[in-house]
Amino acid sequence: MRPRWRKVLSDLVDNIARTILVVSSIAVGVLAVGVIAGAYVIISNDMSAGYAASHPANIEIRMDDFDDDFLNAIQNFEGIANAEGRRVFGMRVRSVGGTQWTMLNIVAVQDFEEIEINQLTAIGETGALGKNEVIVDRDVLDKVDAQVGDVLEFQLSDGTIKRLQLVGTVRDPATNMDDFLAPPAAYITMSTLPALHQPENYNRVYAIVDSGQDDDTHIRAVATALKDKIEKSGHAVHSTWRSKTHEHPLAATVNAILGILMALGVLIVFLSSSLIANTLSALLNQHLRHIGVMKLVGARDRQIFGMYLALILSFSALALLIAVPLGGQGAYALARYTADEMSFSLQGYRIVPIALVIQIAIGLLVPLVAGFVPIINGSRVTVLKAISGNLVQGTGDQAEGGAKRESRLERLQLRFTQMLNRRGIQIPRPLLISLRNTFRRRGRLALTLFTLTMGGAIFISVFNVRVTLHDYINAIGNYFLADVTLDFDRPYRLNEVKQYAAQVPGVVTVEGWAFANAEILYPDGSTADNMSILAPPAESELVSPILVAGRWLHPDDKKKLAVSDAILDLFPDLRVGDNLTLRINRQDEAWQVVGIFKFVGSQRLLAYAPYEYISLDQNLANRAYSYYIVTERHDRPYQEMMAEKVDAFFRDNGFHLREAKPGLSTLDAAVESLDILVAFLLIMALLTATVGSMGLAGTMSMNVLERTREIGIMRAIGAVDREVMRMVIAEGMLIGLISWVLGALLSIPFTYLLATIVSLAVFSTPIEVIFTPTGFIIWMVLVVILSVLASALPARNAARLTIREVLAYE
Amino acid sequence: MSPAPPPSSSNPPLIELREAVKTYVSAAGSFTALKGVSLTVQAGEFLGILGKSGAGKSTLLNMITGVDHLTSGEVIVQTNGRAVSVHELDENDLALWRGRTLGVIFQSFQLLPMLTLVQNVMLPMDLCGLYRPRESRQRALELLEMVELEDHAYKLPTFISGGQQQRVAIARALANDPPVIVADEPTGSLDSVTADNIFDLFERLVETGKTILMVTHDHGLMPRFSRYLRIADGELVTEEANA
Ligand SMILES: Nc1ncnc2c1ncn2[C@@H]1O[C@H](COP(=O)(O)OP(=O)(O)OP(=O)(O)O)[C@@H](O)[C@H]1O
Ligand SMILES: [Mg+2]
Repeated sequence: MRPRWRKVLSDLVDNIARTILVVSSIAVGVLAVGVIAGAYVIISNDMSAGYAASHPANIEIRMDDFDDDFLNAIQNFEGIANAEGRRVFGMRVRSVGGTQWTMLNIVAVQDFEEIEINQLTAIGETGALGKNEVIVDRDVLDKVDAQVGDVLEFQLSDGTIKRLQLVGTVRDPATNMDDFLAPPAAYITMSTLPALHQPENYNRVYAIVDSGQDDDTHIRAVATALKDKIEKSGHAVHSTWRSKTHEHPLAATVNAILGILMALGVLIVFLSSSLIANTLSALLNQHLRHIGVMKLVGARDRQIFGMYLALILSFSALALLIAVPLGGQGAYALARYTADEMSFSLQGYRIVPIALVIQIAIGLLVPLVAGFVPIINGSRVTVLKAISGNLVQGTGDQAEGGAKRESRLERLQLRFTQMLNRRGIQIPRPLLISLRNTFRRRGRLALTLFTLTMGGAIFISVFNVRVTLHDYINAIGNYFLADVTLDFDRPYRLNEVKQYAAQVPGVVTVEGWAFANAEILYPDGSTADNMSILAPPAESELVSPILVAGRWLHPDDKKKLAVSDAILDLFPDLRVGDNLTLRINRQDEAWQVVGIFKFVGSQRLLAYAPYEYISLDQNLANRAYSYYIVTERHDRPYQEMMAEKVDAFFRDNGFHLREAKPGLSTLDAAVESLDILVAFLLIMALLTATVGSMGLAGTMSMNVLERTREIGIMRAIGAVDREVMRMVIAEGMLIGLISWVLGALLSIPFTYLLATIVSLAVFSTPIEVIFTPTGFIIWMVLVVILSVLASALPARNAARLTIREVLAYE
Repeated sequence: MSPAPPPSSSNPPLIELREAVKTYVSAAGSFTALKGVSLTVQAGEFLGILGKSGAGKSTLLNMITGVDHLTSGEVIVQTNGRAVSVHELDENDLALWRGRTLGVIFQSFQLLPMLTLVQNVMLPMDLCGLYRPRESRQRALELLEMVELEDHAYKLPTFISGGQQQRVAIARALANDPPVIVADEPTGSLDSVTADNIFDLFERLVETGKTILMVTHDHGLMPRFSRYLRIADGELVTEEANA
C-alpha cells in the first residue's frame, strides 16, 4: 500500500474510540432519517392502498331499521354504484367462564363471503361464517381472552345469555378508522340476529359512489341527496359519514406525525454533524505536525486534502454499512408496527429507493460538509507553522481576540476564587483546574453544549408534551364524567330509574339524558354537516365543559345550545348570540348559540342543549333512554364493578337494559394511541440525547488527549491517579450540568412548539400546555450519569498513562 | 545531444542568495533575523553554517528550502538546468519542488509515527510521483541499507533509538534522489559517537556528488566541511574555504 493511504488507514484504525465516535455520529443521523423516511414512504403508500383495497364505503349512514327492498332502492339511487346494508349494535361479550364483560359492536351481514364494501381481511384459518357463529376483530381475542374455536357468551337485553361459536378472526381496515373511541367488532350473519333478540333488519348503509370517489364535494352532494331521500321515505337518519376511496381517513394525521418525527431526525443529523465537525477539527489539529512533515517532503494541498477526504469517506462508508441495512429494517419495523396498530396491511418488505438515496446522501454529505472547513484549514497549513509554531494554539477557531478574552475569563475566575477564599470557601484545586480547562477551548465547548442542550431540551419537552396530551384527554373526560352509563331499549321515567338506582349500594346520583340529531344548514338551505345534540339536565354535574366563549346551559333555555369549537370550521365568523339553522326531525328551526366549548373526539361537532327542553320537544318529558350514574368512587375497577352490579340489578327488576358500561372505558383507546405517539417521540428524544452524550464523550477524550502532556506533568509533580480522574470527571459533569440548565430553559419554547404541532396534527386544535418536573428530573439524573460515563473512560486512560509515555507523546 | 557542460566557476552557482532579508513581525514588534545576506553555493560543496544561538542560521536555511518566505531579496536554485526563483513559488509548487530537489533534515526527527521506517522513506516518492510504487519500495529498502537500518525496516519509529531515527530521516531526505541536502543541526540531540556516524554518512554522500548545507554548533566539525560560513546577528561574518 502506498504510504499515504497506509497513513489514512492508520488514522482510521489506530484510534478506534475516535473512529467509533465519528462513525456512530454519522450512523445515528443516517439511521434516524432512514427509518423515518422509509417508514413514511411505506406507510403513506400502503396505508391508503390497503384502505382502497378494502373497497371502503364513501358514505356511511346510520339510521333506523330498513329491509332489503329499501336497500335495493338505495342501490338504485342516482350516483350510487353499490350499497350494502348491515345491522350494527352494541352487546356485551365474554368468554365462557369469564367474569369480565367486554362491549363489542356486533355487525350483522347478509353473506359474510360476499362482502363487497369495507371488506375484511381474514387472519389465519377463517372459514365460512354460519348461523350462530361469530367472527371477531383480532383485538377482541385479547380483550375477552378467547381463541378461535372457543365459545363466546353474549348478554341479551333481558339478561339471558346466548352462546355463539367463535370461528375466526379478521381485521377491518376500513370501518370506524378515525374513531379512537369505537369498540372492536364481532361479525355474525343476519340469520343469527333472532338468536340475539334483534330484528332481521339493517340499520346502516355502506355505499360507494359511482364516480368522483376521491372528490369530497361530490361525495357530500350524493350523501346529502341520499339522506334527503331516506328521510322523505319516513326513515330517521342518525348520522352520516364520508370518506374518499384512496385516502385513509387518518392519512393526514399519520403523515403529520411522521413529519414531526422527520423534523426531529433532521435535527439529529444536524447535531451529529456538529459532533463530526468537532471531532474532525480536533483530529486535524492533532495532525498538524504530520501535515507539516508531509509538506516538507513534497506534499501539495491537494494531496493532503485527498488523504483526509479519504479518511472522511471511510468514516462515511463504515457508517453507511451499519446504518443503511439497519435503517431499512427499522423503517419496515416502524411501518409494520403502525400498520398493526391501525389495522391495515403492508404490501411486504421492501427497500425504499428514495430512503436509500437520502441515507447515502446524508451519510456522505454531512461528514463532508462538517469536515470541509477543518480539512481545508488543515491542508492549507504551512510547513513552518506546522513544525515550528505552537500547534495547540494554532487553530482557525482560536481567533486573534480569543487569547485576550480567554485571559479575561481566567482573571475573572481567579478573582472569583480569591473572593471565595477570603470568605473561607476553598474550591478544591482539581475542580479549579477542571473549571479552567472547560473554558479553554470555547469553540469545542460551544458545540458540545449545543448538542447536549438540544438533546436535553427535546428530552424534557417530550415528557411535557406527554403530560399535556394526557391532560387534554382527561379534559375531554370532563364530558364523560359518569361512572356508569345505562342504555335502555325503551324510555323509562326518571323517577322510576332514580328510585331503583338508589337501591344499589355505591350509587350517589343518577341523571337522565336525551339526545337529538340535527343537520346544520347553510343560509341557502343546503346541509353543512350533521351534529349530535346531547341533552343533559341543565344543572348536570356530569359535564364540566371547557368554555371558549359564552355560557353553559340554563334550564329554561329554549332552542338555545352550546356547540363545540369545530363549528368554527364551518362558520368561521360565528359568535355567541348568533343563530344556527338546524334541521331536526325534518323541521328547520333557528337555534341560538349561547356558548362555544372545546371538544375533541371522533365526533368533533357536538352540541349541548338542556334536557328540560329537548325531552319536551321529543314528547319524552320526564323520561329517558340513557342514564348516567355517579358512584362513590371513580377509579376504573370500582366503575367496572358498579357497572356489573347496576346491570344485574336493573335486569333482575325487569328493565329492558341494553348495556351498562363503566365510564372511562371510552377514553382508554385514545390514551393508548397517544402513548404510541409519545413512545415515538421518546425514541427520538433518546436518540438526540445519545448524540449529545457522544458529543460529550468525544469532547472529553479530545480534551484529555490534548492535555496528555499536562496530565503527565501533573503526575510528575505528584498528582495521584484519583486526582487526575476526579479532575477530568468534574470537567465532564460541569459541562453536563451547564447543558442541563440551558436544556431546561430551551425545553420551554420546545414544549410549546412540539405540543402545538402534535395537537394540531392529532386534534386539529392547539391545546393548553402543561409542564411536569418528571422530564427535568430524569434528564438531570441522565445527564449526570452520561457525563460521568463520558468522561470516566478518557479519565481512566489519562490516569493510566505513565509519565514516560506522556512526555514521549507527540 | 550536447554533452553536459563540465563543472566550472563560469557556471551559475547551484544556490544563490541575493541580499536576502527576513524580518519577523509580531505583537512585540518587528525583528530582522537576516540582514541582507548574499551567498552562493556550488554543486558538490559540503557547506557548514555556524553561529551562536539566535544568529539566524535556521532562518537562512528556511529561506533556501522555502519553508519560510523572504521579506526582500532573492533565492535562486538551479534545478534540472533551470534557474528556479524559490521566493516566487507558491506553497504548492514549492512543496513539489522541495520534495524533488531538496532533502530536508531537522534536529528532531520528524518521522510519521504511524508508518514503518520503510514507509516513512517511501513517503516522499509517493507524494512527488517520481518513482512507481514497486520501485519506490525497492529504493527505500536500499536507502535503509545504506544507513544500515535494513533490519529494522518494518518497525515503527518509536521502537528505534534517536540516532537510528535520524538515519531514517536522512534516508527519507534522499528518497527522491535530490541533488541538495539541507540539514539543520541534524546531530544536535545525539551523543558524539552517533553524531560522528551521521557526519560520516554525510561525507560519503558528498563523495557521491550531493551538495550538502548543514547547520551545526559543533566547532570541532569545522575542518571537515569543504567550506563554512559564520553568521552573527543575521549577517555573514566570515566565509572560509577549507583546502
Ligand atoms: N517566528 C519568529 N518570529 C519572531 N522572531 C523569530 C521567529 N523565528 C526566529 N526569530 C528570531 O530570529 C532570530 C534567528 O532565529 P533562528 O531560529 O534563525 O536562530 P538560530 O541561529 O537557528 O538559533 P539556534 O542555534 O538556537 O537554532 C532569533 O533571534 C529568533 O528569536
Ligand atoms: Mg536554529
